Amino acid sequence: MRVSNVTVRKRLTIALIAGIFIFFIIDLRLGYVQFFLGNMLTDRAKDSWSRNIPFEPERGEIMDRNGVLLATNVSAPTVYAVPRQIENPAETAEKLAEVLNMPKEKAYKLITKTASSVRIPEGRKISHEKAKEIRALGLKGIYIGEDSKRHYPFGSYLSHVLGFAGADNQGLMGLELYYDKELKGKKGSVKFYADAKGKRMNDMADDYEPPIEGLDLKLTIDTKIQTIVERELDIAQAKYNPDGIIAIAMNPNTGEILAMASRPDFDPANYKNVAPEIYNRNLPVWSTYEPGSTFKIITLAAALEEGKVDLEKEHFHDPGFVKVGGARLRCWKRGGHGSQTFLEVVQNSCNPGFVELGQRLGKEKLFSYIKKFGFGEKTGIDLQGEGTGILFDLDKVGPVEQATTAFGQGVSVTPIQQVAAISAAINGGTLYTPYVAKELIDPRTGKVVMKNSPVAKRKVISEETSKKMRYALESVVAQGTGGKAFVDGYRVGGKTGTAQKAVNGRYLENNHIVSFIGFAPADAPELVVYVGVDNPKGTVQFGGVVSAPIVGSIMGDSLRAMGVKPRKDQLDKKMTYTDPRMIEVPDLVGLSKKELREVFLNFKIDASGEGDIVVKQTPQPGVKLKEGSTIRLYFGNK
Amino acid sequence: MPTKKTTPDMILMIVTFTLLAVGLIMVYSASAVWAEYKFDDSFFFAKRQMLFAGIGVVAMFFIMNVDYWTWKTWAKALLLICFVLLLLVLIPGIGNERNGSRSWIGVGAFSIQPSEFMKLAMIAFLAKFLSERQKMITSFKNGLVPSLSLVFSAFALIMLQPDLGTGTVMVGTCLVMIFISGARISHFIGLGFIGVAGFVGLVLSAPYRIKRITSFLDPWQDPLGTGFQIIQSLLAIGPGGLFGLGLGQSRQKFFYLPEPQTDFIFAILAEELGFIGGSFVLLLFALLLWRGIRIALGAPDLYGSFLAVGIIAMIAIQVMINIGVVTGLMPVTGITLPFLSYGGSSLTLMLMAIGVLLNISRYARY
Repeated sequence: MRVSNVTVRKRLTIALIAGIFIFFIIDLRLGYVQFFLGNMLTDRAKDSWSRNIPFEPERGEIMDRNGVLLATNVSAPTVYAVPRQIENPAETAEKLAEVLNMPKEKAYKLITKTASSVRIPEGRKISHEKAKEIRALGLKGIYIGEDSKRHYPFGSYLSHVLGFAGADNQGLMGLELYYDKELKGKKGSVKFYADAKGKRMNDMADDYEPPIEGLDLKLTIDTKIQTIVERELDIAQAKYNPDGIIAIAMNPNTGEILAMASRPDFDPANYKNVAPEIYNRNLPVWSTYEPGSTFKIITLAAALEEGKVDLEKEHFHDPGFVKVGGARLRCWKRGGHGSQTFLEVVQNSCNPGFVELGQRLGKEKLFSYIKKFGFGEKTGIDLQGEGTGILFDLDKVGPVEQATTAFGQGVSVTPIQQVAAISAAINGGTLYTPYVAKELIDPRTGKVVMKNSPVAKRKVISEETSKKMRYALESVVAQGTGGKAFVDGYRVGGKTGTAQKAVNGRYLENNHIVSFIGFAPADAPELVVYVGVDNPKGTVQFGGVVSAPIVGSIMGDSLRAMGVKPRKDQLDKKMTYTDPRMIEVPDLVGLSKKELREVFLNFKIDASGEGDIVVKQTPQPGVKLKEGSTIRLYFGNK
Repeated sequence: MPTKKTTPDMILMIVTFTLLAVGLIMVYSASAVWAEYKFDDSFFFAKRQMLFAGIGVVAMFFIMNVDYWTWKTWAKALLLICFVLLLLVLIPGIGNERNGSRSWIGVGAFSIQPSEFMKLAMIAFLAKFLSERQKMITSFKNGLVPSLSLVFSAFALIMLQPDLGTGTVMVGTCLVMIFISGARISHFIGLGFIGVAGFVGLVLSAPYRIKRITSFLDPWQDPLGTGFQIIQSLLAIGPGGLFGLGLGQSRQKFFYLPEPQTDFIFAILAEELGFIGGSFVLLLFALLLWRGIRIALGAPDLYGSFLAVGIIAMIAIQVMINIGVVTGLMPVTGITLPFLSYGGSSLTLMLMAIGVLLNISRYARY
């Protein structure tokens, strides 16, 4: 007997169709998930299955232009815990905490974390002795891994330029920060597939992505010069106990920084031992202050370029002051310098003379040259925290502001701006962007990846004017205020500066930044050196007294280290009675003993050899010796 | 006995055994990792499932030979026993709590879920009730209200445990039976409105529920909470593709998908055997549905017809909800996939229900 109820039969059919239809919908959904969402879900699934073990890249090394290592890496032990493998957490925590000097509660918390491995912060980059102690404990699930740690082999040497890297090898300051991206490289990893309990699933291939080592950074810094500079700063520090010292050495023809140092300095490995202001501020590029007389170089260059002055032929009378717009601006020398040529104005660093030059230029011209020489804007050096300095707003420049600016007061500049500007004045007239990084090198291939070349910003003055500048500034050293920077044979040119420090809009009494900027050799400059000493004690606070000798020492030793040949045709040094007299050795070869007697000699003679005629002499002719020194002569018979 | 017995529906039997075989293989594949980890025996769950299948098949053949009218005679008594059990299970000390639901009575392996038995008892009783008063079912007062009150009182008891999955399947099955028996469509529409109104009221009284219910639409909103199981399930199904990763090659069974051998076994199946495998299983269930409805159409009396519909509707609804949940079409309810999921009482009861269907088929004329 069949069910004959029509309604029931109809509805059974409906139920069958509806049921099959729902199964069909579910099958469609299954297909949608597997085909349309398939790729997305597969990616997400792989993410969920994969575990990464990071591989740290080696941070790039920093070296000087000759390859001397300045920042490198040393391996440092680091403590890891694998919580799953620790058998007795309480005991392990106690022993570990004791060696690492940490609260044992904290150690316990760390080693019982639900993670595949835990780094103990107190156990990061510990000493090898400590690591040995921990190994000796033989704790299960505690491992010592090798981590690399930044090492600065020269300590506080060049510290402000190099900066330092933190515990995670991340650049925090200086070049380490500026070139962090290039130095740090890229993390690599081994990716493996694991089950949800962290165990490896063997049937899936591991993905290995090797770490990319950081690039090595080669600097323009020359350790030979840097060493000389650091030495001179240490001596000055001991001698004058100043508030600070700044020194920069640069190649004027390229903008390459050869040395840069300042005091107070710090040891990058223990930077936390000094105040943040010390390691945060790289004074040669950060600090801004009134340049003082070194700024007169700019005024002079502008006046020469514009043809407003003839150094030799024009005369200027300095009564000791100049009246400008009702104000009386005094010369640094009481009573004034009297009548002098403009070359002597430069040599004497005579303020009224420069006011005159400023007036001849007019404020538009004067300020346009100041800007062209790069003041009022960052030089663009590849170092952190560069200052900009402040210039008068041109609309607000009256006669007084114009006059003071002409001799370096009322403007605020950075040391690096001065170095760049003076380099432009004496290198033929081109302003270069200073830079510290020379090359980035791939450590594996040794290939140069990036090379910084000199960047000429603009031509500021002509070669002709620049030549006059070199002559004028050489005479400042030979015959003017910069005499203490004189290096025999190397034709040093330069300018002193004594800047007043302003605090809250008022000048401090007996507190100056005394500076000297020098260059050599004057015929073809290869080195510019700036030294600024902040508030030296126990001395006359004058750039010619304090800073010029430092620049002289740096200049002489550095030029010799660079292999620069001494020059003969230098401007003679004007003698002061304290200076020993230097006499040029004459050419005596070929003279007979009789003739020799007729030559007036202020030297002792050490003779050797048989014969009547001089065949050889030391030192060679042209060398200058102190009065009364000994020269050796060899005699022969022609 | 109006008619002579013939051979049972062989297609139904073959489909059932095929599902059973697929189920046994998949339970082993899905559970091996867990079993190895928990019991040091990768066959732990597979061996037990094998035993349950054995018991279930024996029970199925036994029941296949028990005339289905027997259940009509015993329906009232079975229903009463089940009501008593549903009350007892709520009493702490008698009912055991597992996963937050007090659903079990008994000790260890001999535990049973009264709600599972209630499903079958309700089908048997409702088939009797509806076949005896089929003429009255169009009446709201004398047909619809009494049957629905009975169903919803059982549902209320089940929801006290709470066991939403079983409750939903039972109500769904009963509604299908009432629909088949000839209830007015207008009544169903009215019921639909009441349902919607009740749902809206529930949501308004506690707005957080809506989030819980809709979280399946975007499980990634709460990947470690409400979305966790669905995400893990989708992460299994998705990579399966057309042919799957191959039998035994599932990755999600490595502790990612919780208890992969029970409610989410279809996810592992779709991961290992792909769209082809998943569609094959769905096809088997569709065949089962077809044979069940066919038996209902050929049943010698209304009781047999309603009983067959009840059984096949229960199986079909359970399949729809389970796979719907696994593929992310529905919120998670916690229902096993008939014949495939690991679990003794579920499997044996399903096979017994097929036994009843087979018995009806022996009297069917098409």
